[in-house]
Amino acid sequence: MRASPILSEVTKTAVAGQSHAVRVRDVTMDFGSGSSPAVDRASFDLEKGKFLTILGPSGSGKTTLLRMIAGFQRPTRGDITIGGKPVDAAPPHRRSVGMVFQKLALFPHMTAAENVAFPLKMRRFNPAKTPARVREFLDLVKLGDFGGRRVNELSGGQQQRVAIARALVFEPELLLLDEPLAALDRKLREEMQLEFRRIQRELGVTTINVTHDQREALVVSDDIIVMDGGIIQQHAKPVEMYRAPENLFVSSFLGVSTFIDGQVAEGGMHAADGSLLRGTPVSVGLQTGQRGRGAIRAEQIRIDQDQGGLSHCDTVLQVAIKDVIFEGERLLYTAASPILPGVDFQIYHHDPEAFDLYEVGQQVWIGWKAGDLKVFKAAD
Amino acid sequence: MTTDPDNSDFRYPLRWRLMDGAERLLEIVWPRRFGRFTGWLLLLPALLLVGILVLGLWQMAESSLHVLDRNTFLPSEEYTLSNYGTIWQSATYFKVIWRSVQGAVWTVVFTLLLAFPFAYVLVRTPRAWVRKLLLIALFLPFFIGQVVRAYGILIVLGTSGAVNDVFGLIGVGPYRLLFNFPAVVFGLVQYMLPFAVLMLAPALTSIPQETETAASSLGANWLRSMRHVVLPMAKPGIVGASLVVMTLSLTDFAMPAMLGGGSQDFIANAIYDQFFRTADQGLGSALALLLVALGSVLVAVIIGLFGAGTLGMGEKK
Ligand SMILES: Nc1ncnc2c1ncn2[C@@H]1O[C@H](COP(=O)(O)OP(=O)(O)OP(=O)(O)O)[C@@H](O)[C@H]1O
Ligand SMILES: [Mg+2]
Repeated sequence: MRASPILSEVTKTAVAGQSHAVRVRDVTMDFGSGSSPAVDRASFDLEKGKFLTILGPSGSGKTTLLRMIAGFQRPTRGDITIGGKPVDAAPPHRRSVGMVFQKLALFPHMTAAENVAFPLKMRRFNPAKTPARVREFLDLVKLGDFGGRRVNELSGGQQQRVAIARALVFEPELLLLDEPLAALDRKLREEMQLEFRRIQRELGVTTINVTHDQREALVVSDDIIVMDGGIIQQHAKPVEMYRAPENLFVSSFLGVSTFIDGQVAEGGMHAADGSLLRGTPVSVGLQTGQRGRGAIRAEQIRIDQDQGGLSHCDTVLQVAIKDVIFEGERLLYTAASPILPGVDFQIYHHDPEAFDLYEVGQQVWIGWKAGDLKVFKAAD
Repeated sequence: MTTDPDNSDFRYPLRWRLMDGAERLLEIVWPRRFGRFTGWLLLLPALLLVGILVLGLWQMAESSLHVLDRNTFLPSEEYTLSNYGTIWQSATYFKVIWRSVQGAVWTVVFTLLLAFPFAYVLVRTPRAWVRKLLLIALFLPFFIGQVVRAYGILIVLGTSGAVNDVFGLIGVGPYRLLFNFPAVVFGLVQYMLPFAVLMLAPALTSIPQETETAASSLGANWLRSMRHVVLPMAKPGIVGASLVVMTLSLTDFAMPAMLGGGSQDFIANAIYDQFFRTADQGLGSALALLLVALGSVLVAVIIGLFGAGTLGMGEKK
């Protein structure tokens, strides 16, 4: 059956408009003053109901990108649409975007319930239904009994929850989170990360989260964007981002890695003394003989007392243990090999039966599989 | 670079060494075991000042209880409340007091209406030169002083002043703009504006920009974000500014004297007349005490209405 070409075109755009809650195209923010742009030609799509995390070091442009999506700042160039409509078509108070701020920005002169009721009042929600709705969202964030408390009578984690309820109560099309968990201690932060995830799933609201906590990004997201210097370095699913970083920055930003400089070779790279370290080229256009930099994650290096225990590895080296750090659930060894001067191998070792297996100064063997040593173009 | 602990090149900064010296000296003058009296020691100057004030008030209270003996022109010996009786029965004094209160209230209203937007722009403007300009505009009149300013107003608003010149150009007037109640309030507002802005600015600074951004993202337009978020959060500053402007206007002398032209006396002018014209100390003191009482009552009313914790000092309650 042949559909009319016009009709199929219409259907396609309708479907695209429906599934892409947010569409960012070549967005650039240049604050002038001679510095490089805070955000440089960023493009991405976000599907409806998905949870995207923008991850990057301080000053990488995360907040700037988020503020542009929220419509608080107008991009120098580029287009942003939410639900198919351009973002700056309406002032912030007419848009359907909920935002939780870095410093929460709760209203201190109101109770928790009044804070949550505020957006409903401002958006002229039916006053008769307001109390029930406020109650429902306070329950959602498990603050059912705290509605009457003032903001400063709540703990840090409870204030977080009020901020979330307030940003969600008017059922926005899009929820933006600008590092709202940064100020919390680690345990509470991890608890709230899962809480975010639960609430987001429960309501199915499209969410963009900004953080520089890589664990948070990996735990809660459907999609991750890694930014550096205003440029999107990679956009991928968490597992893919972690397993297959596209460049050196992403590789060094996520997880703990050892970096080895050498010459790109067939099937890996040559160390300074000419021995072959087996690996997999990643950077596009990488050529044999070029200077390259290999990266291998701490948990992908195996460690053993004798060479025989590492028969499944593609490259095996003898190293001397330089340092041991006890991290609770595992040990982090630092080790050096005479053929790779200046390289300190970082090795995670998890062995439930024998803690403190190797001592500083001891000679041991390490090894890895060719797929785990990623070879990138050397940074200049 | 390695640091050698015995390296004699290293000296503590001069300021630290001076502080160390001062501390050693202090240890001799005020040994550490006096520690628990230190707080009182620091309070002493303030207590002395307040003490002098209380003493003065006490003496005024004393002399307000003696009427002026018209024969000797000295205060009479016996104690009496008749000075207060005179004020109570006098329609003139009632008018003066009522005028002072009204003047203070109007001044507070107009000053705050003008000062709030000024302070808001001053705090929120992203442009440094705008902030500088506003600060200069704010402080310049500060340096000029009340009398010179009042005189300037006399010139500008006079029958042949700049304002009436402009009226003349469009063929109306001249109007008598001076020596009436509005002229006094105008002068007071002009005088109080910097005080109010200086009280409001810190209160507005303490409201994070993010709070306003949050309000707008939650659906509040500018006006509603003002009404529901900025104004309530700036309350400490607003109450503080009101108190300062209220008490300063209520007790003002120069503006009513110069811009009122004798017809618009406030209480301070009446007191001045009693002390320095009629030389009736007793009546002057009675008026002065009345002014103190009136000011205290008004301050108490404002604090009672808006809460005592509202000056933004100490822990939030
Ligand atoms: N209003 C502004 N004017 C000028 N430069 C700005 C402005 N806002 C941000 N920048 C610059 O843009 C860059 C990106 O800032 P941004 O706040 O987006 O970083 P971020 O990734 O959110 O960092 P953090 O993790 O520290 O919050 C920084 O170099 C910053 O100095
Ligand atoms: Mg930021």
